[in-house]
Amino acid sequence: MIPGALPTLVLLCLAGVSFPSAALAMPQGSSLFEAPRRLRAGDTYLGAGRMYPSPVFQDVNGDPQLDIVVGDLVGRLTWAPQALQDGRLIIFAKERALKGRSGEGLKFHNW
Amino acid sequence: MSPQFVDFNADGHVDILTATFDGSPHISFGSKEGFGKPEHILDSKGERILISSFWNYKDHQHQETGRALGVETPPKERCISALAFDWDADGDYDLLLGGYEKGHLYRQMNEGTNAEPRFTGKNIAVMAGDAPFGIEAKMTSPRLVDWDGDGDMDIIAGSFGDVWGQGPGGGVFLYRNTGTRGKPVFAAAETLIPVSLKGKALPTRPDAGLYVDAADYDGDGDLDLVVGGYSMWTPEGPELSSAQQDRAKQLAAKKGALQKESLELSRAINREILAVTKGMERGSKELRLKAAEIRATHSKKTRNLSKSIRAVSQELESLVPAPKRKSFVWLYERKQVRPGNDSRN
Repeated sequence: MIPGALPTLVLLCLAGVSFPSAALAMPQGSSLFEAPRRLRAGDTYLGAGRMYPSPVFQDVNGDPQLDIVVGDLVGRLTWAPQALQDGRLIIFAKERALKGRSGEGLKFHNW
Repeated sequence: MSPQFVDFNADGHVDILTATFDGSPHISFGSKEGFGKPEHILDSKGERILISSFWNYKDHQHQETGRALGVETPPKERCISALAFDWDADGDYDLLLGGYEKGHLYRQMNEGTNAEPRFTGKNIAVMAGDAPFGIEAKMTSPRLVDWDGDGDMDIIAGSFGDVWGQGPGGGVFLYRNTGTRGKPVFAAAETLIPVSLKGKALPTRPDAGLYVDAADYDGDGDLDLVVGGYSMWTPEGPELSSAQQDRAKQLAAKKGALQKESLELSRAINREILAVTKGMERGSKELRLKAAEIRATHSKKTRNLSKSIRAVSQELESLVPAPKRKSFVWLYERKQVRPGNDSRN
């Protein structure tokens, strides 16, 4: 939740809460993952065309579901709220700038 | 620039910690009104935290210093990632600093508190197995996550690989924490996502510049990965007749010549700008206006060259598709496990 209380995931991590290892079990020698798929945000691909998109999971709007925040090389942050979860399919709404208290999009200095 | 959301100053509000290619960690402090303007994190002497290479905003140039590594001749290592992590479990956040060039990881200890940090200004190399933590293909950013569910923080990290050419791309690696609370020990790397060998006709994965994070995306009790990066692929072209092959060769040669001409023109314009603006303050309005004026005098030729390159490229593309490169964000969903399978995670 931003701003405000610590989001669930961060609290869990800080508290050292772990995910159940039995559920993580995988046969050796095979890929741990399903074939990768591109995430969409609104009617476009998430992070498409950004310079070195760096996604992180974070509950931004305090709903409290995992949204996605995407940083990039030039120091800007956008986020895409989780709009719908239908079983294992999660739909993200359109990306928008992550704004600071000034109302402008946050910008971390690069050179 | 991979952000970490963390209550860095322990005021009950989430802050955003990251590092950029200026070589230092930055923080945007959160409050009930929202995030503040990002600023550099400083050490106990009030100096910028870094590894060795950094962008000097005052001198407008990249520089190196050995002060954080305790060496006179520093290697070129730019801190482009930073994480808050209570390394010694003393109740305050220390910093992990990730280097770009060799993918080294350093820790810088906090001898103060979260509310009043005193970072030492001295970096200590983090080990992975018996060797210093390193990713030869350049590290994007590490993330802290309890990957194996043993209650401590492991590290996952991505690599850049060859981000422009057809050489091997990036991957994602796991470094298990086999230490104890307050004494982390990271094992040698295990591969989570293999280095991309590219060569596909469609975007099938992030191939280079892999920035990773992990979470239980779908709520099924295991950790999935979300990975940003460049997909690099070359679409299959049509089968060419002999005449088309000849035409493709002609077009490729013409394109090369035009690009060379364009590059030479660009260099000549830059030389002219440098000569005419000599003595003007860098970044000043006067300099910008003069540079724009000079560029305008060459704009017709620049435009015509660009137009010619586009036309030739378009025709060539219809015969021999060029390699493509575009960034996306991908989900690597953890496979469901059948009972009775090996329990290694």
